[in-house]
Amino acid sequence: MFRWEKLGKIFTPQEVDGRIWLKEFAQAPATLIFDDFVRVYFSCRPFADNAKQYVSYSAYVDLDRANLFNVLSVSKDPILKLGGLGEFDEFGTYPVSVIRHCSEVRAYYAGWTRCESVPFNVAIGVAISHDSGRTFSKLGSGPVLSYSPDEPFVLSGPKIRRFDNLWYLWYISGRKWITVNGRSEPIYKIRMASSSDGILWAKLNKDIIESRIEEDEAQASPDVFYSNGKYHMFFCYRYSRHYRSKKNGYRIGYACSTNLTDWVRDDTKVGIDLSDQGWDCEMLSYPHVFELDGKTYLAYLGNEVGRYGFGLAVLDGKLE
Amino acid sequence: MSQMKWKKLGKIFDPTQYKLPNNCSAFAQSPQALVFDEFVRIYFSTRAIDASGKYLSHIAFVDMEKNLQNVICVSSNTVIPLGRLGCFDEHGIFPMSVVRYGETVLGYTCGWNRRVSVSVDTAIGLAISKDNGVTFQRIGDGPVLAASLHEPCLVGDGFVRVIAGVFHMWYIFGTGWKKFSLDTTPDRTYKIGHAVSCDGINWTKEGSQIIADRLGTDESQALPTVIEINGVYHMFFCYRQSFDFRKNKDRSYRIGHASSVDLVNWTRDDEHPHLEGTPGDWDADMLCYPHAFECDGKVYLLYNGNEFGRYGFGLATLET
Repeated sequence: MFRWEKLGKIFTPQEVDGRIWLKEFAQAPATLIFDDFVRVYFSCRPFADNAKQYVSYSAYVDLDRANLFNVLSVSKDPILKLGGLGEFDEFGTYPVSVIRHCSEVRAYYAGWTRCESVPFNVAIGVAISHDSGRTFSKLGSGPVLSYSPDEPFVLSGPKIRRFDNLWYLWYISGRKWITVNGRSEPIYKIRMASSSDGILWAKLNKDIIESRIEEDEAQASPDVFYSNGKYHMFFCYRYSRHYRSKKNGYRIGYACSTNLTDWVRDDTKVGIDLSDQGWDCEMLSYPHVFELDGKTYLAYLGNEVGRYGFGLAVLDGKLE
Repeated sequence: MSQMKWKKLGKIFDPTQYKLPNNCSAFAQSPQALVFDEFVRIYFSTRAIDASGKYLSHIAFVDMEKNLQNVICVSSNTVIPLGRLGCFDEHGIFPMSVVRYGETVLGYTCGWNRRVSVSVDTAIGLAISKDNGVTFQRIGDGPVLAASLHEPCLVGDGFVRVIAGVFHMWYIFGTGWKKFSLDTTPDRTYKIGHAVSCDGINWTKEGSQIIADRLGTDESQALPTVIEINGVYHMFFCYRQSFDFRKNKDRSYRIGHASSVDLVNWTRDDEHPHLEGTPGDWDADMLCYPHAFECDGKVYLLYNGNEFGRYGFGLATLET
């Protein structure tokens, strides 16, 4: 079992002033490391509108590399605009995953639209930054990864990686919508695709992580990290029903692979669980692993899937 | 080449005169022919009204004698059910393009799903029939062709032919939604595109509009159909202004035409051959949703007239 030492919550969106688009939530942390600071991208929301509907934006916070608890600054504006009328990302750009490539930074993000019979649909877009990740422009007004025969809806949670000169995208795909107390709830599974240019993708077309707690387990945030000869994936999973609760809510799972396509799930190794009390005593979700100055960190969300921010744990030992 | 001319044969099918499955009572849109030895099966989209008072488009067919005047029967059962909750074809299939492939019939569906900020989105699915086109089973819950980076919405109207071992699909894609005036709901513009495939499932889009605009950038082009006549490929389609097109006959659908010798470069020439509405008749105000096919050595064009085919479809035959 890995031994994660919890360091506590490091960013609280409610403490940020002067940004009407950043009032609640700091979800799906994703890092980009600079010489003096660590830029952590996250997704946030203004307050809900009169119809109790949210839109979501993505932004970043720069943390002092020497002390990650020292917030240096928060982006003045969202890194991406919402899409135009009828576009796939008209109502949200959440979550986002970033990667350096040559002199650019690329962002893969999930774009949200609103539907009539179910609340939303999601597809994956791509944008490029030429200013070290401060602002991004979309490569097109449509998605870079969209629906296909066995990935019919809700393509979300992209995590972009490059290994051996190939681009890899881990993401989730909706399997079915179920109706619970009159509300439509999506079931989704972890999938992957590969590409030589990051634009044209070949989907693997299979669920790569077996479901453990129930057939309709929903899986999200497939964060892949290479270390000590193996690929490690931390992800989160929940029950299909009544998951906005401690009992059925998100927990963090773990799988590993030697070839990127065949994964062995072993949640007993994950080594992080709910706290007895505090910000992460009901839920753990959206894990993201990064290495910094010889240490391995796990950024993650706590209760209410990040409504009050994200926190950090540090690994005692090695990922192997 | 001798001058091609359409000889109009009048309206040949009125859906309001028949009992159709799925409680459909009007509309026989986008007729598409499948020729058998003894008869011609013509698929069309017809409409039911759901509990919210909105339309649901369903596929049905009529079998006609080869004189294309006498009706043998209409489909008595569901040809293909609508998609599941949250799927791209949940709220309608309109149209479905059929093509024989080995012992099967492939049905390329245009699936409709309702949105909130705009009325709908569409994508193209594949369903396969193993009973000569009486029923079709989809290959998956999701589409085979959907929105992409530069084709952001409304991918639909797929027309497929296998030419020299390659699957060719002509289809339409939305370029965007726009509110053309303050007191109207958003309208969309779409253009004709082309994709190829070696298996009919995995498609590569050509990635650009292939038919020149006649009415400018606000021209919407729909329902391409392609037929080879004397070594030249002819495409028929319909086109209109993108707004105020439903009741204003000067801005509504007309039949367009283009030709190509290489399936790459298309020359638009709507006048040769030209299909004209007959004043005072069923197609006086509008001509739309053409489908070209060959039967017993003759080239025919099925099409809809006024009100987008509410009262059925008619026929013309090519004279050279």
